[in-house]
Amino acid sequence: MITAYVRLEVRRTLRDVSFVVFGIGMPVLMYLLFTNLGGVDPEWRTASMVAMAAYGALGAALSTGTGVAEDKGSGWLRQLRVTPMTPRQVVTGRALTGSVIVLPAIAAVLAAGACVNGVRMDAWQWAAVALVLWLGALPFTLLGIGNGYRLTAQSTGMVNVGWSLALSILGGLWFPVEAFPGWLRSLSGLTPTRRFAELGQSLAAGAAPGAAAAAVVGVWALLFASYAVLSYRRSARTV
Amino acid sequence: MTKPPSAAHPARTAPRQLPDPDGDAPAIRFRHAAKSFGAVRAVAGLDLDVRRGETVALLGRNGAGKSTTIALLLGLDEPDAGSVRLFGRTPAEAVRAGRVGAMLQEGRPVARITVRELVAFAARTYPAPLPVAEALDLAGLTDLAGRRVDRLSGGQAQRVRFAVALAGNPELIVLDEPTAALDVESRRAFWRSMRAYARRGNTVLFSTHYLEEADAHADRILVLDRGRTVADGTGEQLRRTAARGSMVCVDLAGRPSGGLAALPGVDAVEVRGDRARLRTRDPDATVTALAALGAVRGIEVTPPSLDDVFLALTGATAPTPSASAPGENAR
Repeated sequence: MITAYVRLEVRRTLRDVSFVVFGIGMPVLMYLLFTNLGGVDPEWRTASMVAMAAYGALGAALSTGTGVAEDKGSGWLRQLRVTPMTPRQVVTGRALTGSVIVLPAIAAVLAAGACVNGVRMDAWQWAAVALVLWLGALPFTLLGIGNGYRLTAQSTGMVNVGWSLALSILGGLWFPVEAFPGWLRSLSGLTPTRRFAELGQSLAAGAAPGAAAAAVVGVWALLFASYAVLSYRRSARTV
Repeated sequence: MTKPPSAAHPARTAPRQLPDPDGDAPAIRFRHAAKSFGAVRAVAGLDLDVRRGETVALLGRNGAGKSTTIALLLGLDEPDAGSVRLFGRTPAEAVRAGRVGAMLQEGRPVARITVRELVAFAARTYPAPLPVAEALDLAGLTDLAGRRVDRLSGGQAQRVRFAVALAGNPELIVLDEPTAALDVESRRAFWRSMRAYARRGNTVLFSTHYLEEADAHADRILVLDRGRTVADGTGEQLRRTAARGSMVCVDLAGRPSGGLAALPGVDAVEVRGDRARLRTRDPDATVTALAALGAVRGIEVTPPSLDDVFLALTGATAPTPSASAPGENAR
């Protein structure tokens, strides 16, 4: 039942032209732009590849929440409540959908790195980076779902874009944190996005991911999960 | 759970054979159910039983409590007091078991999905659904199966919602104002589909504020007003209940009209030219009395219209709820 729901929602997402253009095309375009303007730094090409894939995953993950808010507004969530699917299955299906729709953006940016920018890594590194990016996107899916259950469709779209921008820039997904002033760099270290990208970047550099990075991501994951559960509990009975 | 082999023809009349753990519990049972929103008592102590296989119309003006009744019925809302049971279980359990399908009133079509995909998905959520092709056929959507749901006309989209409601082959189907905003053609097609589904032995409950629809398509009409049932019966029974609205007209043939008001049953007399119009609560007695006076020329008895009945039952004043009713079923 959940599988059927995930299939339906993934299909709906991938048919959304703006999702494909902005959710998949944008990170790829920005990656190629940022790594080819003003000199070629192979290290930055690799680091930025991971960061931009993380940015793409972030955007797609949050968009799951926008979908929830739209479905709440259109009455589709209410219609689902009169099918044998339980609200819990619906929200689980949504989270799984989020996990599926982050994949194209991750894959597209990594492919651009390998094919266009000539990034070279061992096979295990590619696999490990992709896996970490994929799993690490889940907290952001939960954040998006939390917003989606709590807010209207319009405000969810805005709020998600806001979160996406703030987390991307603060987390150094667009510009390297090395360019940040000291205080901003410390702040960046507390963001889930910085640490999320860091996990992938250490793997890409051939090192084991740091415990601190994993801990920060873990704490944010718990926060976002609780937020999603609270928002869902508050609204699932009233949709 | 075994279900009857899916009928290629929806016109079967045999009731469905279901071994039922809940015995003979009625399809729907409300006991003193109440629900308020702030100071508004939307449902005020409703008692209601719907037998399995019945097609029942929930009739009332806007704000009479129809939608709240349906929300309670589907477990979308909890009653403040009293109980609601479907097949002897709570609404949530019955919905969870796949025994209920519903077509809700509000709702925009789901975006970026075809009719077939949507109906197939809805079917998948039920334990023993109809074959998708059959659900599409019942709702008259076979030719539209490949079209995107968000690119259909209003009438077509309404049929999609009906198909979603019946895709799981539920024993009880609940339709909240299913024909609101449909044109005559779409209405007719819709009711044909609904009756085909009811004929399979299913229980149907629909809400409407069109009297003619309730009378034409339901075995039984429940008139709801201010959160209570004010009448319950067939259209014919309702008409009889409110028979005091009957009109007896007769030519005076030069006779004086004085004294007519004193005839048995007569509540009001109106004279236009040589013709008297007597509003009577007992048309038989009135006609007999007129006959005794020899005043029978051009005599004519008009039963109250359904609109009169409705107004009498709900004590409503203008505007008539069915003023914009479709002409197709008008009597």
